[in-house]
Amino acid sequence: MMQKTLDVGGLPPFSISTDAPLWWGQFWMGIIECTLFAMMLGMYFYLRLSVDMWPLPGDQLPHLLLPTVALVPLALSMVASWWASEGAKQNRRGAMLTGLIANLLLAGVFLALRIIEWDSFNFEWKADNFGSIVWTILGLHTADIIGDMGFTLVLIVLLILGRYAEMQRLGVHVDSIVWYLLAGAWFPMYAVIYWGPALVGGT
Amino acid sequence: MNAIKQALLALPSIFLLACAGHQQSAVDAAGPQAGRIESLWWFFFWVLLGVFVIVITTLLVSLSRGHRGIEQEPLEQTHQPSEATEQRLTRSVSVATAVTIVILFVLLIVSIGTGKEISDLGGKQNAMIVEVTGNQWWWNIRYVSNNASQIFTTANEIHIPVGRPVMIRGMSQDVIHSFWVPNLHGKRDLIPSRVTTEWIEADRPGRFRGQCAEFCGMQHAHMALWVVAEPEPQFEAWRNAQLQPAPAPSDPDTQHGRQVFLNNACVFCHTIRGTTAGGSVAPDLTHIGSRISIAAGTLPNTKGNLAGWIADPQRIKPGNHMAVLPIPSEDLQPLADYLESLK
Amino acid sequence: MTPTIDTPDEIIDPRHGTNEQHRNRLLAAWSRPGGFFGWFTATTHTAIGMRYIVTAFIFLLAGGIEALLMRTQLAFSNNTFLGPDKYNQIFTTHGTTMMFLFAVPMMEGMGIYLVPLMLGTRNVAFPRLNAFGYYLYLFGGLLLYAGLFTNTGPDVGWFAYTPLSGPQYSPGKRVDIWAQMITFTEISALCVATEIFVTVLKQRAPRMSLNRIPMFCWAMFIQSVMVTFAMPAVMIASTLMLLLDRTAATHFVNPAEGGDPLLYQHVFWFFGHPEVYIIFIPALGFVTSIVEAHTRRGIFGYPAMVLSLVGTGFVGFGLWVHHMFATGLPQLGQAFFTAASMMIAVVSGVQIFCWLATIWSGRVRLHTAMYFVLGFIFIFVLGGLTGVMLASVPLDLQVHDTFFIVAHFHYVLIGGALFPLFGAFYYWYPKMTGRLMNETLGKINFWILFIGFNLTFFPMHILGLKGMTRRIYTYPSEMGWDTANGLATLGAYIIAVGGIVFLANVFMSKKTGQIAGRNPWEAGTLEWAADSPPDPYNFEYLPVAAGRYTMWAAPEDRAVVTGMRDDRREVLVTSVMDAEPQHRYVLPTWSAWPFISALLIGIGFVGTVFRFWWYFPTAVLAGIGLIGWFWPRRPWELGR
Repeated sequence: MMQKTLDVGGLPPFSISTDAPLWWGQFWMGIIECTLFAMMLGMYFYLRLSVDMWPLPGDQLPHLLLPTVALVPLALSMVASWWASEGAKQNRRGAMLTGLIANLLLAGVFLALRIIEWDSFNFEWKADNFGSIVWTILGLHTADIIGDMGFTLVLIVLLILGRYAEMQRLGVHVDSIVWYLLAGAWFPMYAVIYWGPALVGGT
Repeated sequence: MNAIKQALLALPSIFLLACAGHQQSAVDAAGPQAGRIESLWWFFFWVLLGVFVIVITTLLVSLSRGHRGIEQEPLEQTHQPSEATEQRLTRSVSVATAVTIVILFVLLIVSIGTGKEISDLGGKQNAMIVEVTGNQWWWNIRYVSNNASQIFTTANEIHIPVGRPVMIRGMSQDVIHSFWVPNLHGKRDLIPSRVTTEWIEADRPGRFRGQCAEFCGMQHAHMALWVVAEPEPQFEAWRNAQLQPAPAPSDPDTQHGRQVFLNNACVFCHTIRGTTAGGSVAPDLTHIGSRISIAAGTLPNTKGNLAGWIADPQRIKPGNHMAVLPIPSEDLQPLADYLESLK
Repeated sequence: MTPTIDTPDEIIDPRHGTNEQHRNRLLAAWSRPGGFFGWFTATTHTAIGMRYIVTAFIFLLAGGIEALLMRTQLAFSNNTFLGPDKYNQIFTTHGTTMMFLFAVPMMEGMGIYLVPLMLGTRNVAFPRLNAFGYYLYLFGGLLLYAGLFTNTGPDVGWFAYTPLSGPQYSPGKRVDIWAQMITFTEISALCVATEIFVTVLKQRAPRMSLNRIPMFCWAMFIQSVMVTFAMPAVMIASTLMLLLDRTAATHFVNPAEGGDPLLYQHVFWFFGHPEVYIIFIPALGFVTSIVEAHTRRGIFGYPAMVLSLVGTGFVGFGLWVHHMFATGLPQLGQAFFTAASMMIAVVSGVQIFCWLATIWSGRVRLHTAMYFVLGFIFIFVLGGLTGVMLASVPLDLQVHDTFFIVAHFHYVLIGGALFPLFGAFYYWYPKMTGRLMNETLGKINFWILFIGFNLTFFPMHILGLKGMTRRIYTYPSEMGWDTANGLATLGAYIIAVGGIVFLANVFMSKKTGQIAGRNPWEAGTLEWAADSPPDPYNFEYLPVAAGRYTMWAAPEDRAVVTGMRDDRREVLVTSVMDAEPQHRYVLPTWSAWPFISALLIGIGFVGTVFRFWWYFPTAVLAGIGLIGWFWPRRPWELGR
């Protein structure tokens, strides 16, 4: 019996682009994380609207300097991630390594600034619900950032060892979409936590 | 097995049981709020029953061969009916959808209307306010007033005058409970750190049983209450009696009973106004003798039940917060006698 | 359609030699090690899907036994078969098992099994993630039952309202076990959602444009989106708010410190309401599949059906406050949720009308699967109509938290999901096992379940109206509730008999059922092109779509894909809208790392039940698992 056929032998066995299922999968997992963050922001507003004073009496609003300065390395780290992703598409090892290492270092700076800032908080997560929501948002976001930094580190090691080919390059490419989402999600959260009380009528 | 045999025999009458008047029934309204809801219920019931009958009839007809007014389609080959059939079906489905939307819209309006009506009831000049505080597993009842001497506390039983709107102010001491007296109104949750309110009113005298309707722990099943609606003069008499402190015991037996009460741990939890017992974490016992039931509707209020309860509350309501006190049997009866005398 | 052992010597693609040589190479590429340890390395969707289905079925039986225990206790007033503590653990575990360990995983398992076959591909997009999700689910279920069997089962209801479930009123580990079990099952669900989402978008047969996707795939796709937006809410409610309040002294939902019990309810029900649609929407997909095959026509109103599914998914997120009508929220808000809750009846209604139209205009064949569809229509419509009643605030205030609600949700869940599921079992059993189930026994099975179900749950409507609240371990004799309860208990035992009959049919048919062949129902979708049971690689040559029902297309219109390598696991990636081929994609082969990762993470999560700081070693363990998983092995170049 003669079968009609559609030949795909000429198509490549991979694609480092938004065509790749892995890109969609990582994108979707990033959406899951962003849903978590969005809900936590919703909770933040719910808790805020259920009291008169915000932050609660005795809690001091976090200082603005460190977190605002920290936005700079965070934004630059997104650029570094983009650079690595471009390198992955064009199979340029140098670009990949530079981009990923820069991303890791800048993320590390961001993280360090954040941890220093935590020292200055005068409220614990167990103090009251202001403390609980702020610390939980920060904790969850930090955990995600550290997780992605770990992933980036592994990619760097693989690149250095030369233990990589198409699939690992795809990994570098999709790492960027997750980073954009995780780092990008911080900007609105930063606005809410640090500017929100001033704008929405707090102390 | 007995119940199952009974059930089989009663099978036909099961559908009549819904309509029979009964305690704690949402379809046996004794007040305007419950009455409005009951009317709404029957309206919804008949409309939706009609919808159900039409849908199932259509289904059954569609299964029978004889209904085919449409030409026989050669479905085996094409797996698709003719254009004409599809168009006819499209019209039918569109009409059905439109009818559905209209019916739902009507139901929506009627429902919102009833909701507004119910919440507008009450609040008239001669309203009364009763604070109900849920506890694991009993109800603290406090009649409030602008006049401090008119405030009193009781437990597990609310009396209201027929025909007067009563605002129930609901609070909770611990977890979420729900105040529900179906003959009078729907339920209102009692949420810690919040106050919820609900208006109830009885339009005929009677005893109406209610029950906690939000799972609140081990003895949620045994957290009932009574609302007694009575004519105004009788209500006043009850209220005046409640305002009095506990009557002093008049004979040696009850005097002994009072002594037993005051010498034991009872005083750490319970209050009897007029004595030194001032505990506030358990039901107020000042007039316990006059209540319909004990242990939040668990047992009828008789001397025997009361004695049995005091002797071993954990057997009757396992897990409840009343400890088993080592009261010797010669003290138990006088204690029960004393408490029953607190009318 | 796909050439198989029917024509072993034929050559479709010279690069692959004869069909037989092609087939042998595919088998070699798609096999896994055998034996005990080999079991843990499976990554094909049929294997993992079947594990989900079997495991979920076992949990269904467990939940059913719990239900029988409950009904036995409630058979008559003042019964002492179960004391309050045992009863409270059992009803909580019943609800938790049915919602988290049976219903969602079962639908996911069916999806994992069927969707790649229906789309004409060889596996899901991320095979190892698939396996990982299964093991996490299994461990979560084991955790819950380890709790139950050591008298540490949760006892606060399947939605665990605070402050009852908080540290003050539920000391000990019971609620912690519940909360962390949720973490396991929700991560598992999110993994499956990602799988289905990406597979449906990127791995369809060429020319299977969006308007040609089988309705079941649409249903699973929409369900995946819902899972993505709903599951984070339950993780926040249980793992973040509740578990942190309990183990780390935060104050989200603890009223003593400014927390709000209603915040828990809002966040939980924001998940909880979509959850029931997550369970229900795949079942709607089953119904369409069965109806199409048993009326010999494509579903009437395909676009309307798809839009209704989308509408259900969308509107389903806007209803959650109807679980909170008794909490005293503002009237205007309540009116909005009443309107939304009624509006969802419209989109459900459209689907019912379309099925009725299909049945009306088709050539009906009443096999057992179709019986279950009819049962679904009867039971689900009844349940949906009581749902319209519940949307009304005044009515809900009377029947909320009573047995009326219990009746309602069992009607919509059992009618809406379980009956279609049984229909699906009868319908796809031949595909999964190669043999047909016994028809006579199947019809008996249906009637026993149908009668038993209605006998159990119809009287509960009456009980609710007569004041019987839910979650009570006993009731007094003067309430007049005995008769209806007795009937309900009798019905429950009848359902149990129905379950036994089903199992008997399953096991018997596996040995003596009529051989099914590839397409016993002469259905139109692509899963019927594969062998019964499917080979691990599904199709020897991937099919090209010919319209919406490729199996009903004329043979001269059908085509297959050539040029894929058969010496490794390869699938074809196609474009999102029109399924034009874009590139080939090499899938990973068998691996034990998903199991190892799930085990490590599972150990970590169990630790957090006891001490909060276990999250840190969990992260380390997860890292180890993931590194092992993704570490490249030779050869890492793909070549051609």
